[in-house]
Amino acid sequence: MPAAHEHPQHHINMVKGDVAPTVLIPGDPARVLVFAELMDQAHKVTEKREYITYTGTKDGVPISCTCTGLGCPPTAIGVEELWHIGAKNIIRIGTCGSIQPHVRAGDLVIATGAVRGEHTSEEYISMEYPAVADYRVVRALIDACRKLDFPYHLGIIRTHDAYYMESPRASGDFRARLQPWIDMGVLCLENESSALFVISSISGLRAGTILAASNPIWEAQPSSEEWAANIRKMVQAGIEAARLLHERGLA
Amino acid sequence: MEKQHHIQLLPGDVGETVFLPGDPHRAQLIAEHFDSAQLVAHNRQYVTYTGTYRGVRVSVTSTGIGCPALAIAVEELVKVGGKNLIRIGTCGILQKHMEVGSIIVATAAVRGDGTSREYFPLEYPAVANLQVLEALLASAAARRVQPHVGIIRSHDAFYVESALARGDYLARDKPWIESNVLAVENESSTLFTLSTVRGCRAGTILVGGGHHHFPERPVFGDAMEDLLHQITQIGLDAAVRLAPAG
Repeated sequence: MPAAHEHPQHHINMVKGDVAPTVLIPGDPARVLVFAELMDQAHKVTEKREYITYTGTKDGVPISCTCTGLGCPPTAIGVEELWHIGAKNIIRIGTCGSIQPHVRAGDLVIATGAVRGEHTSEEYISMEYPAVADYRVVRALIDACRKLDFPYHLGIIRTHDAYYMESPRASGDFRARLQPWIDMGVLCLENESSALFVISSISGLRAGTILAASNPIWEAQPSSEEWAANIRKMVQAGIEAARLLHERGLA
Repeated sequence: MEKQHHIQLLPGDVGETVFLPGDPHRAQLIAEHFDSAQLVAHNRQYVTYTGTYRGVRVSVTSTGIGCPALAIAVEELVKVGGKNLIRIGTCGILQKHMEVGSIIVATAAVRGDGTSREYFPLEYPAVANLQVLEALLASAAARRVQPHVGIIRSHDAFYVESALARGDYLARDKPWIESNVLAVENESSTLFTLSTVRGCRAGTILVGGGHHHFPERPVFGDAMEDLLHQITQIGLDAAVRLAPAG
């Protein structure tokens, strides 16, 4: 743990004490507002670039939410600076594209580990180092989903950089590009978790990821209302997991 | 069905939980902890005993050293009914703050081996199964053992990265030491990746027999036997926890 910083962190614009021990990190700034709505109370701490932070309480437990923007480059910055100001648990909350027939819209995905299909984490440590979620955060996310009765899948996800190479809107035969991962049982695609996991393991932070799934990306997708409802469930599970980590003496 | 080419086993020859030491001699020592055990097969370095422990059918298959031989054992064990694969072995400690003789439970492994690369691109993570990890931790806690829990490094060339290695091995270890890697050994990265993809559950529990910062203080003899006895007991208790209820 680095020394306490008195000056606000360069990007997230916060000092020690501005965030709770557990911070949820969405990519989309809109989800910070979903978080604020689901808390008993929450106030906006700061906003700079794509980094917006709210801190609040749920059942008396302090929890924060900092948006990191899309992709590993800004996520890495967010995670580093949250670590500098005393965060202990970081839970990514977001959405993903399913690449397995049994992972469908309405389901949540809890990551045990992530394929490192991005380059940010490789600047930290070579590719053979595992992007693994912290098992205590994974356990809290599982228990949260069970308690809330939300269906979930547990397994390895794929993080990558280029959305327009691996998505239903991608050019060319995206399914052929994805086939090796489908065959390995990788559940879904997203853009942030592998850097979060690698940097957290190196720094001694506990990290996890929970995602709202789409239908398999080669199929029709749910309506925007359905998406919004699923995202709400996902954020709710993230908040409950944060509460459980606090209850278990891990925050 | 013919017997599996290397391990010389048929479906039904092993329990759902199979312990995987590297050393063939250790297969026998582990089997001595079972309530009953029978030698089922012995071919090359692959020695298998099957028996029961507290009513649960368990097995031990030695794999020999390294991922090439371990991958063969995993592929063939899955075909004959192995579901929980628990590596029990030794490792070299990397972190200065850890004692020689520490017990380590792996959450994941650095893929410094060649075998798993032939199967899966390097960006795929080598992660231990959550249920096996939790069963090992609960079993250790019940026996009042406090293991170090974290990432280990698997690699191929013992004489490049060990307390007995040539040259400045600590310089080679530096990136791993700085990334909180606890210890080095030779099998878990292939065990974790291959098990995840083949749909079985894998975990690893180790004793740090050597220490990269204190090469003059290895653990051996009776002290080592006692530690291996402890991790075998923890592994057996984990097998009971992993067995289906009833």
